[in-house]
Amino acid sequence: MAVLTTSHPARALRGSGLDRVLPYLMLGPTLFLVLGVVVYPLIDGLRSSTGFFRFGRQIRSVGLDNYAQAFNDPHFTGAIETTFRFVVLAVTIETVVGLALALLCAREVRFIRRLRSTLILPMIITPVVVGIVFRLIYASDVGLLASFARAFGLDAPEILSTGTGAFWGLVFLDVWEWTPLLFLILLAGIQSMPVEPFEAAKVDGAGPWRTFVDHTLPLLRPTILVAVSLRAIDALTTFDQVYVLTRGGPGTSTQLISIYGYQTFFQFQQVGYAAAMMFMVALVVVVVSGFAIALMRRRGR
Amino acid sequence: MSEDNILRRPISRRDLLKLGAAIGGAGASAAFLAACGATGTSSAPSASAAPSTAPASSAAASASAAPSTGGKLVIGAFEDGALTPFKGTIIPMFQQATGIEVEFLTEPYDSFFAKAFQDGQSKAGQYDIYIMDDPWIPQYAAAGILEELGQHGIEMDADYPKPFADLGFWPPREGARVKGFESGDPKLIALPTIGDLQTLTYRNDVFPTAPATWDDLVSAGQAAMSSNKIKYGFVFRGVKGNPVVTSFYPIFRSFGADFFDDKWNPIFNSAEGKAAADFFVTTLKSLAPKGVAEFDSDQEGAAILGGDAAAIIQYSGNAIKSDDPAQSKVVGKLDFGVVPKKVAAIAQIGIFIHGVSASAPNKDNAIAFMKWFATTEAQTALARAGDLPVKTSAFTDAQAVKDHRLLPVALAQLTAGAQARPRTPDWSKVESIIGEALNSALVAGSGGGAAMDTAAGQVKDYLTQQGYYS
Repeated sequence: MAVLTTSHPARALRGSGLDRVLPYLMLGPTLFLVLGVVVYPLIDGLRSSTGFFRFGRQIRSVGLDNYAQAFNDPHFTGAIETTFRFVVLAVTIETVVGLALALLCAREVRFIRRLRSTLILPMIITPVVVGIVFRLIYASDVGLLASFARAFGLDAPEILSTGTGAFWGLVFLDVWEWTPLLFLILLAGIQSMPVEPFEAAKVDGAGPWRTFVDHTLPLLRPTILVAVSLRAIDALTTFDQVYVLTRGGPGTSTQLISIYGYQTFFQFQQVGYAAAMMFMVALVVVVVSGFAIALMRRRGR
Repeated sequence: MSEDNILRRPISRRDLLKLGAAIGGAGASAAFLAACGATGTSSAPSASAAPSTAPASSAAASASAAPSTGGKLVIGAFEDGALTPFKGTIIPMFQQATGIEVEFLTEPYDSFFAKAFQDGQSKAGQYDIYIMDDPWIPQYAAAGILEELGQHGIEMDADYPKPFADLGFWPPREGARVKGFESGDPKLIALPTIGDLQTLTYRNDVFPTAPATWDDLVSAGQAAMSSNKIKYGFVFRGVKGNPVVTSFYPIFRSFGADFFDDKWNPIFNSAEGKAAADFFVTTLKSLAPKGVAEFDSDQEGAAILGGDAAAIIQYSGNAIKSDDPAQSKVVGKLDFGVVPKKVAAIAQIGIFIHGVSASAPNKDNAIAFMKWFATTEAQTALARAGDLPVKTSAFTDAQAVKDHRLLPVALAQLTAGAQARPRTPDWSKVESIIGEALNSALVAGSGGGAAMDTAAGQVKDYLTQQGYYS
């Protein structure tokens, strides 16, 4: 009884000023974690990007020289170009194929649920495994495609041993693995569209193409933009599959910025230069992410 | 206040703070105690280890009779077939001799390189011993992450072949030194583990004896391909970077070319270097599968063991599979020889080499292992298990030679000529530049000489940037 009369927790807190501090105390552990694993590495990375390193140690500060050096490095500019070419091609094809599949699977017909489940399978396979599998498919000596070609009396295709072949081989791998993501997002978008405009179009006698152009596409546009933005951000950082499949070769035909950054940092121990390169790439990713977030907010409203 | 009252009382802010302080204090104490415990363990001298100040020879002589007093040792290595006999024979022998429990951790090549370097730099102490590829030594040693072995009484005795022994010192005992290490006595920081080097593996039904020159190899290879006796006259690794440079190395060196002068100026685009590159991307490519630019060691190995290739130049990891019916379709048809020559028959040395991490938690056990592994007993066991040893006496052990015919050939290659890659911490970048240019020329099937020029310009720029010539 005495307990009830002598103390009221809420009132006691309010009077002391601790009520203002307590929320921050409660947030403390999480804040500490975020500072430790996100903020500190970012600041340290930014500091490293202005340093010149030899033998694993910073020798001197070089200001923004590492950033300037990147623009004079044909490997960096080449890797940026290859990365953008890869992202644009892969994401475009994935969007078109993903949309087609989503339209196909939006109808409720027999076995459609099983088909939808099957279609998303490639997405859940580990990227390294996908790389290994495609290497076994593409290999010109014992690869699956080579075996098929030989069975039909044809020459084995040279996919990984030519620049163009390897690049398109990589694009196809990415399309195979990540079209399901676009399919899934677009399918959700289609299923959440209002039915009234389509019913009206049907009453007005509009054909399937007209309905698609006048209703489906405009209504789906925000979803498409969000899906494309998300996928583009992910594609910009593609690493595992390329590393397993081609290591960036032949020549520099599949050398994405992630591969070049990895080599520069881990193999060549050019810590400062690698950090500068990756910050520039991160800046691009942040811009694309900002675009995606803005789109999502607009869609939310 | 009774216990009953305490349990009933609502928690006040003061109690909350007290509780928080108590939990925080307990956590900090536990962490501190744990850290002290770890430090204590690592710094306590292990009774099992041989006395660290004893001379290597005496330690070696007594190692087999070392008392079994236990403890732990963590050895890290990159994945490679050549380490299979080491793991299967040497580690159990050491455990039995000393009672020290060995944890043998492996990672893919690139991954272990980066991980071990990080471990050493951050002093994380995940490994006690790193088993490295010899070109890693300059990078690791320059960063100061390897323990100096001389202070522990370990010496490089005369039984180690000189080309192997040289690789354990930093700065190098001979040849050009990189900036920052021009002066100073060479210090022993690693000991050879497996004496790996390239040798020729060839089909004895295509070549009656090992082809002595590149011309011999090409003419016999072309003849065998024309008569459909074999699919490919010569197969090699063409993937950009380390693989293609490794395959190119014996051709390049046998043409009389070299990578740098004594001031680190690139000279690999000399007339000899360009001739070797042209020969590689045109003549040798014509004997190889069309897609050779995508071939790495797995495909190269499959070509010879599967019966498609007449000859390859390879390290021992795949060569030791030649007589295994489970892995080779052409058992009895494969022989080993010294690599062909143009002006010399020079192969690449790529020994496995082990050093103790400067931040090793079980340093005494690591030193004990190094001393034990240098004994004749351990070296002979290594040779008899099928690995290439690192001491001359073990190379000539009668039983080992009888069981493993690669051994005398490897020794013959050492005598004929075997050289390590240039000893600079920047070799991986240089190799990447040369490998990229060479791979592009290989895809094109021409322009080997031009590729050497391109690479030489890029290497010069890079080394200038790193302060080599200032």
